[in-house]
Amino acid sequence: MDLAALPAWLEASALATTIRNSLYLFALIESFHVVGVSIVVGTVLVIDLRLLGLASIRRPFSVIATDVFRWTWLAFALAVATGVLMFVTNASSYWVNTYFRMKMAMLVLAGVNMAAFELTARRSVATWDRDRAAPPAGKRVAVLSLAIWVVVVFLGRWVGFTLSTTTAPGNDEINLEELENLIPK
Amino acid sequence: MKPFAEWLAQTAPSLAIQNHEWVIPTIQSIHILAICAFMGAVLMIDLRVLGWAWRDQGLPETTARFGPWVWWALGALFVTGVLMIVGEPPRELLAVSFWMKMALVAVAAAVHATLLRRPAKPLAAAAFLVVVGVIVLGRLIAYDYVWGSWSTWLKE
Repeated sequence: MDLAALPAWLEASALATTIRNSLYLFALIESFHVVGVSIVVGTVLVIDLRLLGLASIRRPFSVIATDVFRWTWLAFALAVATGVLMFVTNASSYWVNTYFRMKMAMLVLAGVNMAAFELTARRSVATWDRDRAAPPAGKRVAVLSLAIWVVVVFLGRWVGFTLSTTTAPGNDEINLEELENLIPK
Repeated sequence: MKPFAEWLAQTAPSLAIQNHEWVIPTIQSIHILAICAFMGAVLMIDLRVLGWAWRDQGLPETTARFGPWVWWALGALFVTGVLMIVGEPPRELLAVSFWMKMALVAVAAAVHATLLRRPAKPLAAAAFLVVVGVIVLGRLIAYDYVWGSWSTWLKE
């Protein structure tokens, strides 16, 4: 299938049409997207502060990781599921939205950062598990992680503020102020 | 409430916010980041009562670790929340979702205060769900039409 035709196809699907035609669905989906995001970022914060030696320093890192990450992943699944539903609803608008693309790129970066952690500091966790903070490799990952998630939240909000169902690729002669009033924020 | 919202919208601080398009989304983003910090901390306390996390620590240790984060996050939420009201008075003050959210915030505070005095698993689950409800109602402020005639009645 032609990748460029995918957004239009998704948008024409029964699922997308159902969400678009409902008064409540999109609003509720977006609300639970925020719930998912808040748990993801909130739990990642707990982990990152532990790596940096700023909080929970008396508990071994591995114990905190087991405690916290299952909720992070559960919430991430919720955020992805609701995110996919929002994307499908207005796929071609999201597809061409710069902030949306930047947000997706940042999420990939978050994944790479996590993989870097697994391949470096996490491998030697037994040697620093009870230390006040992680070794430099772990601290770098934590700082980067905090920065990435802050940017992800900002970009997510900017997607909501710039998205419109009427923008099309190559059409940059749009009265933004007029569109502004059509978008729920 | 409508005359007050209209008056507030004409004040200098409100106009200053209205005149810069980037201000509202920036405040909203900071508000959401504060929700993240708040949610992480409250979730850990609720999970501790449920026995699903932080089991090697007592509840007092868990609240000592996360309590300050709850309070700092609440402070940031209050400040950014007030700024959003000042920046867009009718959008907030004439929204059913906004007042339902404020009521649920009070419920969340009461439930958590009770939970810390008398920890009980069902109450911890309820406390978490109330916080979820607060977040949902917060986002619904942008979609206040979901309340139909209630919403239009409040705006009249």
